[in-house]
Amino acid sequence: MSGKSCEEALDRLYEFIDNELPPEELRRVAAHLQECSGCDAERRVNERIKELVSGCPKEAAPDDLRARVLAVIAEEREAG
Amino acid sequence: MIAVLEAPSPSAVVPGFIPDGDLGDLGPLGSWAMDAAIGTDEYAAEAEAFEALALSFMNQLYAAALRMTRNPSDAEDLVQETYAKAFAGRDRFTTGTNLKAWLYRIQTNAFINTYRKKQREPKRTDAEAIEDWHVARAASHTSSGLVSAEQAALDSIGDLDIREALAQLPDDFRLAVYLSDVEGFAYKEIAEIMDTPVGTVMSRLHRGRKMLRELLAEYAADRGIVNHRAGPGGSDVR
Repeated sequence: MSGKSCEEALDRLYEFIDNELPPEELRRVAAHLQECSGCDAERRVNERIKELVSGCPKEAAPDDLRARVLAVIAEEREAG
Repeated sequence: MIAVLEAPSPSAVVPGFIPDGDLGDLGPLGSWAMDAAIGTDEYAAEAEAFEALALSFMNQLYAAALRMTRNPSDAEDLVQETYAKAFAGRDRFTTGTNLKAWLYRIQTNAFINTYRKKQREPKRTDAEAIEDWHVARAASHTSSGLVSAEQAALDSIGDLDIREALAQLPDDFRLAVYLSDVEGFAYKEIAEIMDTPVGTVMSRLHRGRKMLRELLAEYAADRGIVNHRAGPGGSDVR
């Protein structure tokens, strides 16, 4: 491992978490995270925040919006 | 051009959204139509499938619109505008590509063109964002002890905190984080939705997530102080 491996891992951390790294880099970053507790702690915090954001309950579309959209589509049909 | 329509799987179609009426006269469907001629049952079936699939994303589009506009009334208008544009321009939808991403792109454009102007938020240039990103990239991590404390603090964070923190982010950052974390779009898809290079998407995600993390740490810290003051016995213990 070069002394630059922390720098690379942190630089690529979001791509790692988002599963956007090509296989070779993914392997390198994963290997570094296994042996560096500092970088791995960073990964855990960022993953936790991503989970919190994705787990936020989503509001359903109100019924009146549904009715408005169906009216728009009906109009669109008649115009077409 | 004759495009072959991949019929959506039955599970993707939500029959309850199909309004009753004469489905024989649906107007031009452009490249969405398959070989079926206008007025035939097949043609009507294709129109129905497009409609049902598009409408099945309404809850998601509305939740996203709420995060974009930060206000229910604007969010409803935005979703209505999105569907009006989608149905008026469905001949520009390329069959076989991602309908959900296409709808998000229409909604994002509508938001930028209508609501962002209305809200008069100063628009940042891409160059600014990219420059900032390079400055913002972390070169080293803090001690793992500090990060453990931060992790413990995140356990006190609730959904309302997340919503409030997201609402604080500049539009471009908020949108990139939402599209990635909530909708699970790939960087390339977000780039298409936001009509910007992938590098800019990455910079927006970087900056947005850093800001979000700082805000959540602040909320947790505030809550810590409040909890101490309201601690057992009502005394100001630390």
